Amino acid sequence: MNMKLVGGAALGLATVLVLSSCGSGGGTGTSGAGDQKSSAGGPVTLKMVAADYGDGPGKPNSGETFWKGVVDEFQAANPNIKVEVQVINWNDIDKQVATMVQNGQVPDILQTGDYSGFVKDQLLYKVDEVLSPNVSSDMLQKFADFGKVDGAAYGIPFVSSARALFYNKDLFQKAGIAEPPKTWDELKADAEKLKKAGVSQPFGLPLGQEEAQAESFLWMLGNGGGYKDASGKWAINSPQNVETFNYVKGLVNAGLTTPNPGTKDRKTVWEDFGAGKVGMVNGGPMSIPIFDAAGLKNYGVAPIPGKSGPLDTTLGVMDWIMAFNKNGHAAEIKKFFDFFYTGSAAQKISDTYKLLPVTNGGIKKLSGDEKLKPFLDALPNASFYPFQDPKWAEVNPQIKQTIGGAVKDDPAKVLGELQKTADAG
Amino acid sequence: MKRLRILEPLAWVGPAVVLIAVVVLWPVYEMIRSSFLKISRFGVVQGGNGVANYEKLFGEKDFADIMVRSVIWVVAVVALTVLISLALAQLFNQRFPGRKIARWALIAPWAASVLMTAIIFKWMLDPEVGVINQIRLKLGLIDAMGGASADQLGDASTAMPWLVFVAVFVSVPFTTYALLAGLATIPNDVYEAAKMDGATRLRTYWSITLPLLRPALTVAALINVMNVFNSFPIIWAMTHGQPGYSTATSTILMFILKGSNIGESAAMSVVNFGMVIILTAIFLRVSRWNKEVA
Repeated sequence: MNMKLVGGAALGLATVLVLSSCGSGGGTGTSGAGDQKSSAGGPVTLKMVAADYGDGPGKPNSGETFWKGVVDEFQAANPNIKVEVQVINWNDIDKQVATMVQNGQVPDILQTGDYSGFVKDQLLYKVDEVLSPNVSSDMLQKFADFGKVDGAAYGIPFVSSARALFYNKDLFQKAGIAEPPKTWDELKADAEKLKKAGVSQPFGLPLGQEEAQAESFLWMLGNGGGYKDASGKWAINSPQNVETFNYVKGLVNAGLTTPNPGTKDRKTVWEDFGAGKVGMVNGGPMSIPIFDAAGLKNYGVAPIPGKSGPLDTTLGVMDWIMAFNKNGHAAEIKKFFDFFYTGSAAQKISDTYKLLPVTNGGIKKLSGDEKLKPFLDALPNASFYPFQDPKWAEVNPQIKQTIGGAVKDDPAKVLGELQKTADAG
Repeated sequence: MKRLRILEPLAWVGPAVVLIAVVVLWPVYEMIRSSFLKISRFGVVQGGNGVANYEKLFGEKDFADIMVRSVIWVVAVVALTVLISLALAQLFNQRFPGRKIARWALIAPWAASVLMTAIIFKWMLDPEVGVINQIRLKLGLIDAMGGASADQLGDASTAMPWLVFVAVFVSVPFTTYALLAGLATIPNDVYEAAKMDGATRLRTYWSITLPLLRPALTVAALINVMNVFNSFPIIWAMTHGQPGYSTATSTILMFILKGSNIGESAAMSVVNFGMVIILTAIFLRVSRWNKEVA
């Protein structure tokens, strides 16, 4: 009998031990990383999370393939530093990273579309702690300035892109249109001709969750609007923007655009353009590979039409790379960053994904590429999202979810709701 | 020694109790606690927030619509699932040639990942190339591909029925098998007795099969209620809750809020949790689950 009791107690105790060791598994991992840091000279593993610029896992241009090439080269030169890269697609990366941070499993390096949200929580290294002066001085000034919050730089520009209007020359010819449109009214007239010629989506309008904020911004710019006014105040429901969306709504109601734009992702619309179902669409260098893959050859690139003339600016989007300070590792991260920007990696990413560089040196290297020239020219005068405003992180998801409603319901009301979100404490 | 003997059962139940406490009670406690905290988008706690998260949540323009839609979603999906499964279970309980193959085939939607199923349906409904729209075009139901009429997922009024359809499609296999197991437990002699008394088939089904099936039916429906209420991948993959929030349920809203305001998202989770408990309580009361069969 006594034996039975002892056995039972032992079993219970063992179970508790197993359970508690499970519970602390994550904690052991992080403190292990901290130990590695203190024993200088020992091997260090950098955890990196990166967005996928390619067509997804398994494709020859997948992020995994790209980063493996970079990391292999880096590790060969730095045998003491191991880099583990986790590639996540754009739709999920923000939420997955947020989950990682919430669970305390912070990566060392993150490459994604925004850095500003992490600054307030003091999660990031400052740029000068993880990047050599000769590298940071080569950055395009306007871009690097956007990496600053309250005068201190946290975000390092990674790659950039600009937007322009792509038009299908075959469809334009079929519809009897000689030149790409320069104004909204020309765009509307051309769309009507395309519609008559049997094009199902004369103008591709992706206002769905993936990147509604970009398409919206391009239209706002065409009427002198934007997310903020000149004084830096939120102006989402400014009269110009309301007028803009009323105009776009007219296009939608006339059946001249992608149906139900508020539910369509840009990738779908670009694929439709590549398949010859869309007459014109706003795109960037990164959409060229999608068009190529779909077999579309005969397309042109032109400045984006505005209300009364083509835009003298464009949406500049930069993606960022940043270093988290939780696990230490500043010295190792610095080595990796310097390697990335001074070696061939930065240029390789431009070549592979048709993304634009963020350094003066990079632009010089690419200036021979005819296809990219319109975009490289547009970069200096680009307009940007109000990234530095911490509110953007809260407003942006709302824009992605609801701004499509502005071309379906009452624009003033939909934009007004977004303005409320931006203005709220 | 005798005192220790009294404690002995504890050693045996203890692990289970600890397990429940760690994986069930503690997360629930954390969820409720988070809903009263001010938490940055990246999970750093910035202090208490009182009931502000709830105030913000209840103040969301679309909140009421979303809650009503969630209830309709659960009721529609579970009711359709149970009705279809009752019929299918009855069919599969008969002996017919090829029954084995038919039973295996029914497992397919269950075995496939729900996310995959949802994505495949999204493709089939693609306005430009989707196979369902090509069939509708051939049947003359729509004039052309690519237009608004071919874009059923683009508008809530046509998207919701499709979402419900897919949800039913993936729920039916489990429910059917649960009911099939229930049918197998009904002894043959009650049917013989009914036959001797001259009961019609309908009468037999209503007065014998259904009451005796009630335990299986209750369990199957209850599991479905909870599953469907918390269902996420179908709606997310097919519509993202768009246009706007017009196809979003409370689980989708919770996920969207998580991207910008964790405290508010936690408040949504607590409301969700409460809703599941309330729905379950109503359901159990209606089905009188613990009453013996009369």
